[in-house]
Amino acid sequence: MPSFKFSIFSFAMILWSCSRQVEVQYGVNDISVYESKSSKIKPKNEAEYISILYTNLFQEAISPLQLFQSQSVMYSIGDQNVAKELVLSNYFNTSSILIPSDLEMRASVEKFIEDTYKRFYLRKPSEGEKTYFIQYIQTHPELTVEMVYTAFAASEEYGYY
Amino acid sequence: MKRKEFIKKTSLFVGGGIVGPYILPSGRLFARTGTEKAQHVVLVMFGGGVRQQESVLGRYLEDSQGVSGAFGNIMPNIFSGDAPNKKIVYGRDISGEPRGTDPIPRLISSPLSEQGLFFPEVKAQSAGHYVGLNTLLTGSNGTAQGLKVRPKNPTIFEYLRRHRGFNATDTWFIGNSIGNSTPLLNSSDADGYGLDFGANLFVPPVTFGSYGKNILSNAKPYSNSDLEPMYQMKQFLDHSFALERLGVKSIKNSNTEKTQIKEFIRNTFTKQSLGQIAMPPAAFGGDAMNISYAAEVLKEFKPKMLAVNLSAVDGCHSNFTGYLRSLHSADHITGWLWQYIQNNIPEMANNTIFIVAPETGRNLNPNPIIDENDWFAYDHSDANSLRVWTVMTGKNVPIQKIGNESNPIGRLTDIVPTIADIFGIYDSVMQSGYIDPFAESQFLRI
Repeated sequence: MPSFKFSIFSFAMILWSCSRQVEVQYGVNDISVYESKSSKIKPKNEAEYISILYTNLFQEAISPLQLFQSQSVMYSIGDQNVAKELVLSNYFNTSSILIPSDLEMRASVEKFIEDTYKRFYLRKPSEGEKTYFIQYIQTHPELTVEMVYTAFAASEEYGYY
Repeated sequence: MKRKEFIKKTSLFVGGGIVGPYILPSGRLFARTGTEKAQHVVLVMFGGGVRQQESVLGRYLEDSQGVSGAFGNIMPNIFSGDAPNKKIVYGRDISGEPRGTDPIPRLISSPLSEQGLFFPEVKAQSAGHYVGLNTLLTGSNGTAQGLKVRPKNPTIFEYLRRHRGFNATDTWFIGNSIGNSTPLLNSSDADGYGLDFGANLFVPPVTFGSYGKNILSNAKPYSNSDLEPMYQMKQFLDHSFALERLGVKSIKNSNTEKTQIKEFIRNTFTKQSLGQIAMPPAAFGGDAMNISYAAEVLKEFKPKMLAVNLSAVDGCHSNFTGYLRSLHSADHITGWLWQYIQNNIPEMANNTIFIVAPETGRNLNPNPIIDENDWFAYDHSDANSLRVWTVMTGKNVPIQKIGNESNPIGRLTDIVPTIADIFGIYDSVMQSGYIDPFAESQFLRI
């Protein structure tokens, strides 16, 4: 008899202790995250600058040998702006570089500017920046994508992350 | 106004205009404290640790290896004295003969030490390379100078740019390696000086070597009309970023100077491919390459101040025979550079002061390493390593020998005050608070 009562008690306890588990699922909305220029406080070292630039322009990783050589050459020139501009113009003289055409730039200047800011600075341009570049490109018909990209890649902000 | 008062006021006004302070590009006031002795200075940092015994004292193997009668001068472009006539190993190789049996003939009419101010026994402030190089370029004794960091105290380039108002391309440091802190010698981190006043730098074995050729030689030539919009856009971007933070730390050339440097690099690769780079006739290797490209820089930029360093003699740590050959070769290329300036750069000929000085000496006693001739090698760490020499020649330099082995006169830290003296900013530099208190211009030690 006591064992029967114990069984009933145990069964009741089991029923009472079990509760239905509520499964909660959280959805994630797609959102684009951009950097802010105010948060860029760490200078890229030569290796970081070169490898990021190379990947940006060629859409593939730089080889270790080329990275080492590029880094050494940058060390060997006192003015880092001169060194950067030379490395850049060397890249732009390479046929495998992947950049938009001048026609594409002219077709939609605003989109080109937004894409360029995201590509180099990982952020959207401010309205002031966008206005400046739209006006500048529209009033300088001789301007090429290469010139714009050179200005961005040689700029101080691109030297920071 | 009375005549006497008028003359007095006019004299004061005119006099003030002459000796009064100038406003430099940096915005700082300075008073010129002396007359300029020459418009250009070239400093050869005869690097790597040069032992007095084999250089200025002309003792060749007699002193270092105990070979009786094997003494003589193996640096005929810098020092006077007959060459050794026994156990000749320091020259060029001749086919079928033992190595190094053909000494390189002297290039210049008389040794540099006979053409100017010669201090044969000078006290170095360090037995190490980097501190020694720092001493030559900063005029300070290098106490607490770390490795892999910029000089603690301002370099002569910064003094000249700040106190004399020179442009970036007026000052050059031609290094021989990107290792051992060498590429940091173009500027210090000192307050009030630093990279804003630093010198341009090339390391020719890298910049114009195989790496440079791979990375830079395909660079596009941009016209000024191409560059102008690029610089305008860059200026806008930098200005926008500068609102958030300080600028990147690098020496800065003007846009015109940058264009000139880029054109120089491009033209140099072209000249290189055509075999048109001026070279010392009987030398090769890193030091010769460094001197060659220093000559190219001199010809293009006619800088006010250029320092070039050599280092091959440091092979003495493990190969004494190689050291003798490097010493002989360094003498040859040094003589060639002086000759090149006189013969090929009219703007600098007869208007340049040429200074040669090692950054450190070498030990009195050898280490146990022996070379192919069973000769012992020498390091640099003892009192003998603090014995060096200096030679200065050129415009307005008197011909005089000051001191001797038993009467040392001068310090390596004298080089910066001497250059400051040449350019008429002696007092500004000496009063900067960074100079070795025992240093002074070599012109004042006469």
